[in-house]
Amino acid sequence: MEPVVERELVLPAGPEEVWESLAEPAWLGDDAQVDLRPAGDVRAGSRTGFVEWADAPRGLAFWWSEEGEEATRVEIALEEVEEGTRLTVIESRPLALLDAVGSDLHLDLGVERRGTPELIAR
Amino acid sequence: MATVDRTDAVFGALADAGRRRLLSELGERGEASATELARGLPVSRQAVQKQLGLLADAGLVGTRRAGREVLYRPTPEPMSDAVAWMAEMGGQWDERLAALERQIARRRG
Repeated sequence: MEPVVERELVLPAGPEEVWESLAEPAWLGDDAQVDLRPAGDVRAGSRTGFVEWADAPRGLAFWWSEEGEEATRVEIALEEVEEGTRLTVIESRPLALLDAVGSDLHLDLGVERRGTPELIAR
Repeated sequence: MATVDRTDAVFGALADAGRRRLLSELGERGEASATELARGLPVSRQAVQKQLGLLADAGLVGTRRAGREVLYRPTPEPMSDAVAWMAEMGGQWDERLAALERQIARRRG
């Protein structure tokens, strides 16, 4: 079973406005921080990570993890629709594959930010 | 035993945000009656009981009689690591997206 969480909702605002709202990270929790550009910091509660790619106002992907836990990848896509913007979020756990094969390879997001997570995950 | 049917039932049971909230509430309490669970939620005891029934059918909660009450508890067996993760992360995204919705409504307020 592939561990993936997917959510979708339509917001009553254009993609640019939704993008600006994403950049005000209160929605991720108190004291959250999101720097919406590649390698930008992501902080939310006890989670830290970095932005993999960002393409305003179409979407972004970031990686984050709680200390000592495996990192997960979040991809957010914005699509203009008649009622506003359809936002799709997919959180996946690519590194769970590593658990399955018993690898002890560990991705430390704090220092590995220059690595390409997709390649590491494969 | 995890069968395809069981997996479908698990996913069906977890497809509803209200049931996910209920399951996570039950996870925090460890064990509770429908009455106790309903107290902390904006729904009736009957509604909670019905949702608990669906979770029980999927094997996600177990029951035990204690005097005149039935107590429910989460059963970890069918909650494989992946399913547990999906339930938890899904609940968190429901909250974050609701917050984003409110944030946008305020901007436009």
